[in-house]
Amino acid sequence: MKKMLCLLLIASTASQVFSQISSVLPVSSSIAGTSVANTGVRTEFQNPAMLGYAEFSEIGIQHENRFALSELSTNSFQTLLSTNAVNADFSFSYFGYSLYHEMMAGMGFGRNFSDKFALGVRFNYYMAYFSASNSYRGALLPQIGLSYRFSSIFSLGFSTFNPFQTNIKTDFTQKRISSIFSLGTEYYFSPELVWLTQIDREISSNYRLATGFEYQILQQISLKLGAYNAGYLVPCVGCGMCWNHFVLNINCELHPLLGVNSFAGLRYVFSR
Amino acid sequence: MNRFAIVVCCLLLLTLNAAHAQDASTTIDQTIADIFEQWSEESEQVPDYQTFYEELQFLAENPINLNQTSREELSKMLFLSDIQVENILAYLYQYGPMENIYELQLVEGLDMTDIRRMLPFVVVRKGKTTPDKIYCYDVLNYGKNELYLMFNRDVETRQGYRMIVSTVEDSISRGKNYLGSPWYHSAKYRFHFKDRILAGLTCEKDAGESFFGSAHKGYDSYSGYLQMNRFGIFKTIVLGDFRANFGQGLVMKSDFSMGKSSYVLNVVSRNEGLKKFSSTDEYNYFRGGGATIQLTENWETSFFYSNKMIDADTAGGFFSSIYKTGYHRTENELIKKHTIRQQVAGGNISWRLLWLQTGFTFVHTIFDRALVPEKTTYNHFYFSGKNQNTAGWNYRIHWQKMNFFGEAAVTNNFHPAFLNGFTLSPISLVNLVAVYRYYSPDYDTFYASALSETSRINNESGLYVGAEINPVKKWKISAYADSYRFQWPKYGIDAPSVGKDYLFQTDFAASRRLSMYWRFRHSNKPGNILQDSSIMPVIEIVKKNSLRYQLSYSYENFSFKTVAEGNMVQKGKKAGYTYGLTAYQDLTYAFAFLPLKIDFRYQFFDAVAYENRLYAYEKDVLYAFSIPMYYGAGSRYYLNLKYELNRQFSLWFKIAQTVYADDREEIGSGKEKIFGNKITDVKFLLRCNF
Repeated sequence: MKKMLCLLLIASTASQVFSQISSVLPVSSSIAGTSVANTGVRTEFQNPAMLGYAEFSEIGIQHENRFALSELSTNSFQTLLSTNAVNADFSFSYFGYSLYHEMMAGMGFGRNFSDKFALGVRFNYYMAYFSASNSYRGALLPQIGLSYRFSSIFSLGFSTFNPFQTNIKTDFTQKRISSIFSLGTEYYFSPELVWLTQIDREISSNYRLATGFEYQILQQISLKLGAYNAGYLVPCVGCGMCWNHFVLNINCELHPLLGVNSFAGLRYVFSR
Repeated sequence: MNRFAIVVCCLLLLTLNAAHAQDASTTIDQTIADIFEQWSEESEQVPDYQTFYEELQFLAENPINLNQTSREELSKMLFLSDIQVENILAYLYQYGPMENIYELQLVEGLDMTDIRRMLPFVVVRKGKTTPDKIYCYDVLNYGKNELYLMFNRDVETRQGYRMIVSTVEDSISRGKNYLGSPWYHSAKYRFHFKDRILAGLTCEKDAGESFFGSAHKGYDSYSGYLQMNRFGIFKTIVLGDFRANFGQGLVMKSDFSMGKSSYVLNVVSRNEGLKKFSSTDEYNYFRGGGATIQLTENWETSFFYSNKMIDADTAGGFFSSIYKTGYHRTENELIKKHTIRQQVAGGNISWRLLWLQTGFTFVHTIFDRALVPEKTTYNHFYFSGKNQNTAGWNYRIHWQKMNFFGEAAVTNNFHPAFLNGFTLSPISLVNLVAVYRYYSPDYDTFYASALSETSRINNESGLYVGAEINPVKKWKISAYADSYRFQWPKYGIDAPSVGKDYLFQTDFAASRRLSMYWRFRHSNKPGNILQDSSIMPVIEIVKKNSLRYQLSYSYENFSFKTVAEGNMVQKGKKAGYTYGLTAYQDLTYAFAFLPLKIDFRYQFFDAVAYENRLYAYEKDVLYAFSIPMYYGAGSRYYLNLKYELNRQFSLWFKIAQTVYADDREEIGSGKEKIFGNKITDVKFLLRCNF
């Protein structure tokens, strides 16, 4: 019982701390969560316009752990199908433990228009388990994304998640689902060094300002460094590795109060 | 089956035909919307979009022949500054008629953005044309007719439409509720034969007004006009509802005025004379008739007479203020309807040379009951009585690279108003404007509209300086500084006060497809600070800094706009700053093989205090405009569709929703209150050309 209470306490604290970006969305593999304009990376449930830039089909899994507590983990996977007309993906994520858990499945479509801009939309179905009523409740949460590539070195990205501010109501309670507006830029100083910036606004929470650099040291290895601020500063480091068809991303961030968040994602890219 | 296939094929062909036809109209609509947006974004007063749109649309249908034009005609392109108009005329005078439209690039002070905006509204034709004779047969057979039907309503039920269940106070409660349905509806009919004969009828019922019932037998408001241009010595004849604009607007300007905006040079009023009134505004127009006569090549005179009923509360045999909203939704509002007869008679005589224009304007206003404002400090000098005379003298002188302009006006109590200024273009890359204004506290007239900090032209003096610089290709810098003073207390300012307003904007047009701008605005506005303990009024300066970035990008049939805007407000020196932020993303797509155009926007906003409120122009159905105010935290999105079924019929549909995320349980107040945190607006418009 004590363990349960402790978990609930930490979970509620964590959800408050993370109120700027709700745990409904898994974290992205871009450093400091700067994925909205990152044209080179595909991650589960991120800006659906980025699907349009995928040249090959991909499959990936990722695991995110918060504060070294197994109960506060999100597991997700994504399959991405690249075609000539439109790219599509199916993503799924699971967060929580037996007494409380959330799941989300989404079908996304993105298209790159002559490499000038890309548009994408994803239809997500979110479901949460409420132990008080011993039942699942769900809602449809759309996601819209856009990316314009002004030149080969600079692009801008926009995405919105749950724009209609849909919430889940049960007989006893109402669960507020985050509604997020994101805007970001990507700038390549050189083909090896990219600078990413992003501003996120969850409609009833603080702003989140994030920035990061990703540097390709070798063809197989890249290093990432960044930080975000949402009322407190969180430094982030990470690395990326690729060999043959596999791509591995590992990121860590240090929360000033609660400790370390870690992320690992493995993808397999077909026909590279 | 065969018949069905033929019908389907015909429909498809019609649709494809309409898809091609819409390209031109879409470009013009987009151009007009862009100009209006830039003009209204930083304007203190929201211009009348219906008139704005109609005038530019009419200009697109009857483009100006640059080789046979005048200052007056060029001034109809509201996005051109006075200097640019003068430069075009000077070019034509110096080099003769233009060979083709591309010669506009050689005119000083016109950049590519200006030229692109001008293109739908101008042509270059050789040889002089004289007005054709008009035959009834031509008018009846070649005149263009348009019919517009518009419907609009909120999805959520406002408090005023709710049934009040009461026993004792039943009759009182009913008297206070809206009498009609929540539907807004208007019908407009327009006719024009070239630019010579224009006629129209507008009927409107506001939301909450009854359509057929004890209070109304049909629409609440009717308006009609007939305008004829260039008939013998008559330059213009107007009958029915019309507007009049003379000089710099100190005496008479019932149309929208050029105020402070990001078009920093466009503060000079345009002398447009008499013209039809076709808007749904229920106050700001005249009803009667008037004419402009071309006496000689240089002399011109206008005269008009108006006799109309206006709304006011006449309890006590007089009225204290004019009720201008045009709403007649409740019994209390209906009591005020058409209770005062207002007669206005006036005229203008003008003398024009190539380098000089001067004129004299006189207006006499009579009410059948006395206007007696409830006396408070701020309205101590407001007009009271039954009769008012206003007269003014205006001038405009073109000398080398300078234009001087101004107006001096006086009312029958001999208190004056002055506006004087000049525009200067020392080199082709730099344009400057300076305007000094002085409006006496006693100067208070009904149809004045000129450069001012507030909408009322009195009790103000100030200096406005603006500049537009093109330092390098593709870049433009615009800035203005305005310093003003209220000699007497104003509404909401209980002591004489001073204020300042600055704007700085940098535009970068990288290509035809990509443009962006950064705009910074700082204002120091005086305002009352509410302190219960103080006996004397306490005035504090409200400082507001706002920054806006806009990026526009288009590619083939897609166009995008990304905007981020923030502001910081400090009320008084000791108070802290509050902030307001908004960002939105627009997406527009015009289908290539379907006559369909879609606009979509998603926006979030977060304005902590009322002073941080934000405005954002949004696309709407034809003839409607929307610049909603955002205060609190939440998001807004809309979908706007335009479908051209064929050359005769076009449809517009818009649905917009605002969802507040600041835990509010109701929106608005009084009878406009909505329970909940969402407000949804639906609009539908049908246009029929025949």
